[in-house]
Amino acid sequence: MHLPRKERHAGDSRSQAGAGTLLLATLLITLLLVACSSGKQSATHHLLIYTPHGPDLLVHFVARYKAAHPETEVQVLDIGSRQILERIRAERNRPQGDLWWGAAHTTFQTAADDNLLATYRPTWADKVPASARDSQDRWYGTYETPEVIVYNSDGVTAAEAPRDWDDVLDPKWRDKILIRNPIPSDTMRVIFGAIIWRSIKDTGSPEKGYDWLRRLDTNVHEYTADGTFMMQKLARREGLISLWDMPDARLFKEQKGLPVAYNIPTSGTPVVTEGIAIVRGAPHEDEARRFYEFVTTTESLVQAAQKFYRMPVRTDIDRKQLPPWMNEPFTRLPLDWDVLRQQGDDWLRYWDTEIRGRGSRH
Amino acid sequence: MPSLRPSPRWILLLITLVVLLYGVVYPNVDTIATSLHHDGHWSPANYLALLSQRLALEAVFTSIGVSVATVILCALVGIPLAFLFERYSFPGRNVFATLAALPLVLPPLVGTVAFIFLCGESGILARVVQRALHLQEPPWSLRGWGALLLFHTYTMYPFFYVLAGAGLRRIDAGLAEAGRSLGARPLRLLFKIVLPQLTPSLIAAGLLTFMTSMASFSAPLLFGGNVRVLTLEIFTARQRGDQPMALTETVILAAISLVALLLFQRYEGTRKFAAAAMKGAARRYRPLGTGSTRLLAFIVGVICSVGLALPVATLLLVSFARDGQWTTQTLPPAYTLANYSRILTQRSAGEVFLNSLSMSAIAALAALLWSFCVVTLSMTMKRRVSRRLLSLLVLVPWALPGTVVAVSIAEAYGEPSLLLGSFILVGTFWILPVIYFLRFMPLVVRALQASMEQIDPSLPEAAGSLGATWWQRFWRVTLPLAGPGAIAGTLLAFVIALGEYVASVLVFVPTNRPVSIAIASELRDFNLGSAAAYGVILMAMIALSMIVAARLERSASV
Repeated sequence: MHLPRKERHAGDSRSQAGAGTLLLATLLITLLLVACSSGKQSATHHLLIYTPHGPDLLVHFVARYKAAHPETEVQVLDIGSRQILERIRAERNRPQGDLWWGAAHTTFQTAADDNLLATYRPTWADKVPASARDSQDRWYGTYETPEVIVYNSDGVTAAEAPRDWDDVLDPKWRDKILIRNPIPSDTMRVIFGAIIWRSIKDTGSPEKGYDWLRRLDTNVHEYTADGTFMMQKLARREGLISLWDMPDARLFKEQKGLPVAYNIPTSGTPVVTEGIAIVRGAPHEDEARRFYEFVTTTESLVQAAQKFYRMPVRTDIDRKQLPPWMNEPFTRLPLDWDVLRQQGDDWLRYWDTEIRGRGSRH
Repeated sequence: MPSLRPSPRWILLLITLVVLLYGVVYPNVDTIATSLHHDGHWSPANYLALLSQRLALEAVFTSIGVSVATVILCALVGIPLAFLFERYSFPGRNVFATLAALPLVLPPLVGTVAFIFLCGESGILARVVQRALHLQEPPWSLRGWGALLLFHTYTMYPFFYVLAGAGLRRIDAGLAEAGRSLGARPLRLLFKIVLPQLTPSLIAAGLLTFMTSMASFSAPLLFGGNVRVLTLEIFTARQRGDQPMALTETVILAAISLVALLLFQRYEGTRKFAAAAMKGAARRYRPLGTGSTRLLAFIVGVICSVGLALPVATLLLVSFARDGQWTTQTLPPAYTLANYSRILTQRSAGEVFLNSLSMSAIAALAALLWSFCVVTLSMTMKRRVSRRLLSLLVLVPWALPGTVVAVSIAEAYGEPSLLLGSFILVGTFWILPVIYFLRFMPLVVRALQASMEQIDPSLPEAAGSLGATWWQRFWRVTLPLAGPGAIAGTLLAFVIALGEYVASVLVFVPTNRPVSIAIASELRDFNLGSAAAYGVILMAMIALSMIVAARLERSASV
């Protein structure tokens, strides 16, 4: 009994020491790797881009830019547009990023009002409508995204699909509608905002708009956490109808092969402008301007349209080069964007506390 | 450990205080101060405003209710599993014991995707039931209390399973043997001898589960439906731009978790139990004798393990499924390797894994070393008040949601400060290892503390009387005894840090872009298959490190 135990103890301390050595070795190797990876700084120019654009589009444009400017090390921070706003706000005393590529113009305008963006007037400044740029040159529009009614094309025929906003309130869609949670979503904020604004414009109060949202709520099957889950649930027929933006709906149908189709609301639809801006105090402002111009040439915009379903804002583009669906006419719903931006939070708060999830209980 | 000479004790005290000051006190003072400011002067106005909001109050009580229910459910799943796998030997025990820890390897983001594909109303299970029973509508929806608690239980029961398992490995089988020889029946043994010895482990697990559930954000966001919890209210307030309200709700969330900590500690104090001198009895697995019990244990093991492994299997399935093809079928109709080739040909794929691995390793090892400082110090403290204050401060980061930890660190060290001089942490590689360390070190401290409290103080004492130095006593006596707990806790921290998302997304920089960000990007582009493929590779890495750690643990346990 005594002997084996002694042996076991000796074995213990050996394996103990072994474990300790192993842990230490891991740590050392890790530190070495870190030191190595942070040591490679051969490029002479640097650029840090904040962008919500996905890997498909980013890889394409960054590779093209690097081919044209091999001396530049382009780094990309890919996060959602509202996360970018929070980050730039947090970094205002010591900006890290140079270029902010992609967000709804309402988000850019908020950033501009907070004095977070630098002024830059691109060479094509007079080629975009006044509504698609900041009057003080702090952001410019690149792509535009009309909002549409999306439906599952296997579950709903084109003939019975809703054609206008009010059609989605029809009782036959009860429990069939999927809506992406509007609180963190620029797209949904704009759609809900347009409904409320219509009510304010017609009656002077948001009440009719709230009523509309209340009736929508009775038809809603689920408010999904984000756009990807919403599309997935739509494709898998957890619901049949949703409200989303046109380029995404196209992309899901044609590139991802999902059974979805859309109608542009006949009474008119709000059009969100996606923009680009230089961060105020950017460490590499010249490089940021170069990339800014690079991704907004007519050539780049046509590529973005053909490969990545982005509708260009610039008016001097040869429309024949664009996919045919981008040239189909539709009615724009005029909106007071300033009112929407300033009061949108209050409207959503009312929706969140008084409307959301209450319809189904009655 | 009564007679620690002054010099090492002062070093421990210094290290502990510095880390707490820099990591916990300084960054959080600002948060509390802001919540107590209104229109530029000190005032409780934010708290009064919160009290007057029906929804905010409802959220406070809902959060507490969800967390209490989660703790109970996790204990009901985790403790029996730990007993089954730690106490009995039956065919396949080792495989099942490893599988039972699987929810740990399910990374966030893709974990929820897998869960939705499996349990959602259009998921595999729902479709199977729907087809089998010829139902018109899906048999259930993955929303509301049930869904939330199901997901919480699935992801958090490992706290009980792992910590109770480590506890069972440490308890003194001699006591149970003595009890048995004195004629105690099995149930009496369980309640009078085994469970009291396990109490520190169970309390540690209960506390971690409660706090994790309080700070849980993704699950209520995805599965909560109309269940409003405090973290969602904080998120909504931040999206509105209402920072004071968001901070006030955060302080309340943290306060609830810390009150829970005090309650748990109170209970802990009454049930303190040190194992007697580990005489005679090396713990052994009881082979299940009769054929039928053996078979029963085997079947229970199989059912539990299969059930727990299903989400992981689903993730594997999604990673091989062709995107966009899987709509109304029960299983994906078309398979492809394209998802893997797509991410592996991206230049950044290798980098993100390396980044996550190195940052998690740094954070976990730092947490391990620091835990020994804290726990040793805490055990030499004579006053109960200071001991409690210490564990309170250590647990503060765990009681806070990940975003809050990240934001407070970024705010505190985003510009030249009193504490760091001109060094600015924000924007460097090191910000994420620091945040991972802060967020997950409470796990290691709790696990280690639970182990150390079970050590019979007479063992190091005996070593001391035989002339061993403090260092020798630590290396040859304390460390081997506390080894299993320490390794379990460190591994837990490492694995959770590997998939960390909510804090990373706020402060990562291109040089330390972690895997979770790559996954989120793929999800934003609707490349579910590629996201799942990232998840599968991450899981494989986690599984590998768990096997290595299990080896270490086995060799380290006495």
